[in-house]
Amino acid sequence: MSLSRRELLKSAVGTSTLFALAPTVPAFLQRAAVAAAATQRRDTVLVVLQLSGGNDGLNTVVPHADDAYGRARRTLRLTQREVHKINDDLGFHPQMSGFARLLSEGRLAIVQGIGYPQSNRNHPVAMRNWHTAHPNDENCPTGWLGRAIDQLAPPGAMTVPGVFVAPIQQTLAVRAERAVVPTIREAQDGVLRGPAGTAAGIHADRLLAAAEVERMDQKNPLLHAARSSTRAAAIASRRIASVVADAGSTGNYPPLQLAQSLRTVSQLIRADVGIRIFFTELGGGGIGGFDNHANQRDNHAALLKQLSESVAAFADDLGRDRQLERVVLMTFSEFGRTLTENGRRGTGHGDSQPVFLVGGRLRGGLVGKHPSLTRLDQDAPKFHTDFRRVYATMLDAWLGVDSRPVLGAQYPPLDLFTA
Amino acid sequence: MPTTPLTPAQVAPPTSDSSSDPAWAWAPYQPSGKRPWTRALAGHLLRRAGFGATWAELEQAVADGPRRTVDRLVRPDADLADFNRSHDDYESSAAAGGSADALRAWWLRRMIKSPQPLLEKMTLFWHDHFAVSAARVPIARLMWEHVRQLRAHALGHFPALMAHVLQDPAVLLALGAASNRKARPNEHLARQLLQRYTLGAGQFSDRDVRETARALTGKFVLRGQLRHFEREHDAGVKTILGQSGAFNGRDVLHVALEHPATARHIVRRLFRWFVSETEEAGDDMLAPLAEAYAKDYDTGRLVETILRSNFFYSADAYRRRVKRPVEFALGIIRALEGNVPTLRLANELAALGENLYYPPTTKGWAAGQHWINPALIIARNNLALALVGGQAPYGKKLNPVQVAQSHGRQDAAAAGRFLVDLLLPGDAASDVPRIAQQESAGGGNLPTSLRKLTHRLTTLPEFQLA
Repeated sequence: MSLSRRELLKSAVGTSTLFALAPTVPAFLQRAAVAAAATQRRDTVLVVLQLSGGNDGLNTVVPHADDAYGRARRTLRLTQREVHKINDDLGFHPQMSGFARLLSEGRLAIVQGIGYPQSNRNHPVAMRNWHTAHPNDENCPTGWLGRAIDQLAPPGAMTVPGVFVAPIQQTLAVRAERAVVPTIREAQDGVLRGPAGTAAGIHADRLLAAAEVERMDQKNPLLHAARSSTRAAAIASRRIASVVADAGSTGNYPPLQLAQSLRTVSQLIRADVGIRIFFTELGGGGIGGFDNHANQRDNHAALLKQLSESVAAFADDLGRDRQLERVVLMTFSEFGRTLTENGRRGTGHGDSQPVFLVGGRLRGGLVGKHPSLTRLDQDAPKFHTDFRRVYATMLDAWLGVDSRPVLGAQYPPLDLFTA
Repeated sequence: MPTTPLTPAQVAPPTSDSSSDPAWAWAPYQPSGKRPWTRALAGHLLRRAGFGATWAELEQAVADGPRRTVDRLVRPDADLADFNRSHDDYESSAAAGGSADALRAWWLRRMIKSPQPLLEKMTLFWHDHFAVSAARVPIARLMWEHVRQLRAHALGHFPALMAHVLQDPAVLLALGAASNRKARPNEHLARQLLQRYTLGAGQFSDRDVRETARALTGKFVLRGQLRHFEREHDAGVKTILGQSGAFNGRDVLHVALEHPATARHIVRRLFRWFVSETEEAGDDMLAPLAEAYAKDYDTGRLVETILRSNFFYSADAYRRRVKRPVEFALGIIRALEGNVPTLRLANELAALGENLYYPPTTKGWAAGQHWINPALIIARNNLALALVGGQAPYGKKLNPVQVAQSHGRQDAAAAGRFLVDLLLPGDAASDVPRIAQQESAGGGNLPTSLRKLTHRLTTLPEFQLA
């Protein structure tokens, strides 16, 4: 969450409070100004949204025109009349009008047929595979985003490149070897709270002032780190507080858990405190989430409605002032589901899935073919594009993080972004 | 009695003393006119050897001097066996409940209440060293037994601890080594044993790893029990670290313990744990400790040597560690002589990056500078406020004014100075007396102003350091 130096400069120039702290401030502002001229960093943001339980891609992006679909899904089948049209063959689930609109606006891409060889259909193993990006290495200790975060936060850098914004335990995806990834449930968690009767801003100023006082042991690098972190914390806190306080910046979010998490993400993006990676989640709070082995229809519809409405609100919010141009939201689930409906009006664990991307600089629309419904692997549509190609594209082409050390190999990128 | 903040020179000797001569560095520190025993050094010792001090503990340490204080830390008068027995019972019931979350809470309570905080500090050291996570050991009873054994051997002999570790189902499960088949030896377990648990990185070859893995075959974990299947043990000859034989797990351990790198590795980790996270002590500096440790691997005596040493009380050690989140929170709680619901606290500490029973990777916690970044400073500030602010969720469990008054500081100025001496004994920077005066002389309600002062002291940069 540290300010990049450029941002620090920007904030300082824009805020009279910082100048009010003279004469202690100018020294570090001067240092920042020099450094800022030297670094013009890309501050793109990746928001990863986990759909827990194994989303039924076939009832999300519905191949309604395919007879194999209609035959296999006696009760769960969605018809052409019900879905939101994508093209002649495909349509979004009826509850996903938000996604349909984003698609028509060119702000949503559907990357089809995503998976990996010898995929696993056991929840924890499959989830671990998506988290580590090292399928079937049960001893991989870190997550792909955690490794990216470690790369973005070299030792000694007072930065917070990634945060976890969800009401569940942190997932393996963000586990880093070195960096501690904070969990932020609401933007207020990013604000320095002062005692009752002390305004948060005044409290932040006091911390800033304390950080500027020369402390005892000037040769101690840890004391230096504590001082500069405190300084950056005070400034970041101010910026988050001002976003939170600005009623006009809260967006128009429905009263749904995911929407609240995404609003927090949006506030932190808008506060511009240097966070590049966000991880959030849908489905893990309730029973089973997307794992609908029985009576799938209503539960799945409710989750897709939550997904569609929350993400649409997020895109609209960030789209107002062109913030969406530096943001990509990406969904994933641990697997898709079987084509054939079981005897309990549900579906089993499957293989490939569509990955959704939402952002302001995407080539929108369908990417890749819809997997065949006749050449199946144990009743599930086969993958044709490895999920690590999507990851590699997000790392290399979007975040500017070298994907090779993160993924252990070079995966060919996908053409997902506008120039 | 008002105390004046000490200058660095008063706190510690010049750095050149410690960084040059290993013999001097590890010789016992004898207070002298040039290097007096101070409140700052007493606070330093009690932070490092435990989880911070109460006023009475601090006063006693100042009065007793380093030798008697370390005596008491290593061999407490209080009935430790009784304390540990009762907490074993609590934890045993918690483990029967099936979740490691309650175990976290009981451990925090031990750290707050134990008559021998050093034992818990060392148990935490070994937890970090072996880095077994409940995320991979889904049986709470196994995690409890694992940590209980770490505690039993924490200040004992390293070979006995290692012998247990190689038979510990939790260790095998955490390393994905629940079935070590002859046809498929587990190199992850072997590598962890050599690289993390004993020799350290760069001291062995890939071949040593493969051969060690062969020696460890036959070990299985079935339904939470360790089993040994002779038919799955590779009884052939292995060559490990230059020695050959039909080795089994016990033999591998023997070979590893005979290798001089093992003592150096543990000593280096303990140096980082107790002395400094900024100095990379060289082999020469650590040689006296490593050579002594290699003789009988008596961890308690090694720790005692470190805690008595000149280096430990030097400027190269003072405030040269970042407080772990546990040290940060417990330092506040112990100083204010209160008790808080530790179930909740365990979650708050997890959010600060230290989730007890769940080290992030098999390399433990990265620690040092990684404990502090701007977001974590904000989280520490907010946790400190929750603890001392007098409001929900922790309410008035911690009450600075009550602590100050119970130690005879009735008026605002005296109580303010007391809190500074308690929380930043002997080393507050130049702005601190002003802060103390500002907050405690603010008029109005004394309990409230002392809460504010306490919070501000806990957010100062130096308070983040141990």
